Amino acid sequence: MNIEIEELAKEFGTERALYPVSISIPSGALIALLGPSGSGKTTLLRILAGLEFPTSGRVLFGGQDATGLSVQERRAGFVFQHYALFKHMTVFENVAYGLRARPRKERPTEAEIARRVNRLLDLIQLPDIGGRYPNQLSGGQRQRVALARALAIEPRMLLLDEPFGALDAKVRKELRQGLREIHDRTGLTTVFVTHDQDEAMEIADLVVFMSKGHIEQMSVMPPAGKARAVPVAPR
Amino acid sequence: MRAGILRSPSPLPGFGLSFGIIMAILSIVVLLPIGALLGRGLMIGPADLWSMVNSRRIWSALALSFRAALVASLFNLVFGLLLAWVLVRYRFWGRRFIDAAVDLPFALPTAVAGIALTALYAPNGPFGQALAPLGIRVAYTEAGIWVALVFIGLPFVVRTVQPVIEQLEPDLEEASATLGARRPYTLRRVVLPTLTPALLTGFALCLARSVGEYGSVIFIAGNIPNVTEIAPLLIVIRLEEYNYDAAAAIGIAMLLISFAMLLAINAIQVWSRRRIGLV
Amino acid sequence: MSVVPLSRPVPVTTEPRPTRHLLIGLAVGFVALFLFAPLVTVFAEALRQGWVASVQALASPDARSAIRLTLIVAAITVPLNAVFGIAAAWAITKFDFRGKAFLITLIDLPFSVSPVVAGLALILLVGANSSFGAWLAANDLKIVFAFPGIVLATMFVTFPFVARELIPVMVEQGRAEEEAALTLGASGWRSFFTVTLPNIRWALLYGVLLCNARAMGEFGAVAVVSGKIRGETTTMPIMIEMLYNEYLSVAAFSLAAVLALLALLTLLLKSLLEWRHADLLAATRRH
Repeated sequence: MNIEIEELAKEFGTERALYPVSISIPSGALIALLGPSGSGKTTLLRILAGLEFPTSGRVLFGGQDATGLSVQERRAGFVFQHYALFKHMTVFENVAYGLRARPRKERPTEAEIARRVNRLLDLIQLPDIGGRYPNQLSGGQRQRVALARALAIEPRMLLLDEPFGALDAKVRKELRQGLREIHDRTGLTTVFVTHDQDEAMEIADLVVFMSKGHIEQMSVMPPAGKARAVPVAPR
Repeated sequence: MRAGILRSPSPLPGFGLSFGIIMAILSIVVLLPIGALLGRGLMIGPADLWSMVNSRRIWSALALSFRAALVASLFNLVFGLLLAWVLVRYRFWGRRFIDAAVDLPFALPTAVAGIALTALYAPNGPFGQALAPLGIRVAYTEAGIWVALVFIGLPFVVRTVQPVIEQLEPDLEEASATLGARRPYTLRRVVLPTLTPALLTGFALCLARSVGEYGSVIFIAGNIPNVTEIAPLLIVIRLEEYNYDAAAAIGIAMLLISFAMLLAINAIQVWSRRRIGLV
Repeated sequence: MSVVPLSRPVPVTTEPRPTRHLLIGLAVGFVALFLFAPLVTVFAEALRQGWVASVQALASPDARSAIRLTLIVAAITVPLNAVFGIAAAWAITKFDFRGKAFLITLIDLPFSVSPVVAGLALILLVGANSSFGAWLAANDLKIVFAFPGIVLATMFVTFPFVARELIPVMVEQGRAEEEAALTLGASGWRSFFTVTLPNIRWALLYGVLLCNARAMGEFGAVAVVSGKIRGETTTMPIMIEMLYNEYLSVAAFSLAAVLALLALLTLLLKSLLEWRHADLLAATRRH
C-alpha cells in the first residue's frame, strides 16, 4: 500500500514540531526518516500511526484519506522505541494480543491464533520463547518480539521508532539485515526512524533527511548492498 | 470536553469520562462543603467573624493547637531523622519489623490511639505511675497533647526522609572523606543539606496533620477551657450548642491555617526541585 | 621484616560502632515507648477481665451494630474512592490539560484539612440550618446525623489515598504500553483492562488498603456528622468513645482491640506488598 503525506504540519502549543512536509512513499518501499533528536521524525511517524494528530495537512493510505481514522482503524504495525512489550504477559500472549483484541466475529479461533503466533516466532527465529516474559529476554530478542507482535495484526504498513536505538552495536548490525529480510518477505510498506546515517543508508530504499521540522533532502538508495556507491551530501 | 481544556488531542480515550468522574466526586465530597463553609463566613461578614473569633477561649485554643503541633513536629523531626537513618544505614535484628511498625499510626484509628495513650499516662496507668515520683504529669495536661501528636505524626518525617537517604550516593561521603573531612563534618556539610528539603516537607506534613488532629487528643487532653482545649474540640462544642456561626468562624480560621500550610508544602517542594532536582 | 601495628580503620561512610549502637538503641527505645506501648495497652486493657468479658462486650447488640455500620461504610466509600483514584490518575497521567497542577492540589486538600472542619463543612452544606438542608428535610432526605452523612465525611478524609498512590506509578509507566495496545487494534476499554489495570494492580491494592484502614478508623469527621444515635449512626470508633466516656473500659478496649487487629493486618499486608512488589509501588520510592 502506498502512503501519501501531504503538507503535514504539527504544533505543540506554540512550538512547531513539523513544518508542512510532503512525502510520497511507493507501495512496498522501505524508507528511513533520518535526523537528530527534535527533528520531527518521530512526530511524523506517530502521526502516520494515528498516535498524534496533525495541525494541518493530510495522509492518504492507498489513495484514501486516512487523516481522520482512529489508531485502531489504521492497522499500522508499530514498533516502539523501547518496544512497549506488556510486562505482565508472556511472549506468546504479547504476540497474540492484537488477534484476541478483534471483535468476536473477526477473531480467529484459539488454535488459529496459536498457529499464527508460532509462525511469527519462527519468522523472527525465536521459536522457543513463547512462554517467557519480556524481562527474561535480551534486548535483541525483545526487539524481535515487538516486531512479531506488530506483524501479527496483518498490518497494512510497518512503522518503527528507532528500532535499533536501545541495542549494542553488534546486535544492531545483525538485526538491520533481519529487518530488511522481513520487509522483503512480507512486502509491507515500511517506515523507520533513526538517527544513524549508516543504518539508514544500508537498508532503506529511500532516505529522508529531517532537521528542525523540515525535510532537508531525500535520497533514493540503489538496491540493497550497494549503498556505499552513492554519495550523499551531509547536511 | 476534548477541545476545551485538553492541551493537545490524544489517541487514548476516556478523558471526558475520567474528568467527569473526578469533577463530580470532587465537587460533592470536597468543593461544595468547603464552599458552604466559606459561604457561611461571607454571610456572617468579616467584622462579625472577627468578633466571634476574638475571644480569649478561642485564641487559647488556636494557640494551643498550633503550639502543641509545633512541639510534636519538632520532636518528630529529630526522632524521625534518627529512625530513618538507622533503618536505612544500619543492619540489626528486628530492623524490618521496626520499619513496618513505623506506619502503625497511619493504620491505627486515632480514637484507639487516644484511649490507649490515656490509659498509659493516666495517674494510675503504668507510665503515669512511673512519672509521678518525678513530679511529671502527662495525662490531662498539655504534655498529654504532645504525646498524642507525636504518636500520630511519627511516620511523616520518617517516610519522606527514608527514600532520600536510600538514594544518597556513598560517593559523596567518600569524596568528602578523601578531601580530609572527618565524619561529623561530612554529616553536617554534605549529608544534612541533601536531606533538608525532605526534612522540611515531612515536618510541614506532620505539622499540618497535627494542627487539625482531634481523635487521639481529646481523650488525653482533659479539655479544660483556656488550658487544654484544642481548636477542633471547640468547633464540636459550638456545634453541640447549635451555634453554627461560631463553629463556622473557628472552622474558617483553621481552614486558613490549612491553606497556608498547603502553600508552604508546595513552596518547599518547588524550591527543593529547583535546588537539587528532588521532589 | 618489621610489622607495623595497624590502628583500627576509621569508617568512612558509617559511624563508629559505639555511636551506631547508641543510635540504634535510641531509635528502638523511641519506637517501643511511643508505638509498641500503646498497642500493647489496647490488648492488655481489653483482656483485663478475661476473654469472656471481652467477647461478651463485642457480642452486645450495640457493638454488633457498630461493627456492621463500619463495615458497610467502608464497603461503600472504599470502592468509590478507588474509582475516583483510578479516574484521577488516568486523567492526570495520560493527558495534558489546563489546570492540572491545581487539580492535584485540590485532591491533596483533605490531607491538610482537619477532619472536624470537614464534618463542620458538611453540616453547613446539608444540615437543617442551611437552605439546601431545609429543602432536603422537606423531602424527607436525611443526610446529617444519618448514614449518608457518615459516608460523605468518610469519603472526604480518605479521598486522596488511592490517587496519591497511583499517580506516581502511572507517571513512571508512561503511555507507550497503552499506545501499543491501541495500534494492535484494542479498544480504549480493552487496553485499560488488559494493559493498564494489570500494571497498576499492586499499587491499587496498596492504596485501597490504606484507604480502608482510614475509612474504618475515621473518628473526627464522623463524630461531627453522626449524631451518635446508638445502634443507628455509631461506627466503631464513635462507639469506643461513648463506651469510654461511660467508664465501660473493657467494652471500649475490646472494640479498640478489633480495630487494632485490623491495623496490624493492614500493616502485615502492606509490608508483604512492599517486600514482594516494591518495584511496582510508588510508596516505596517516594522522594
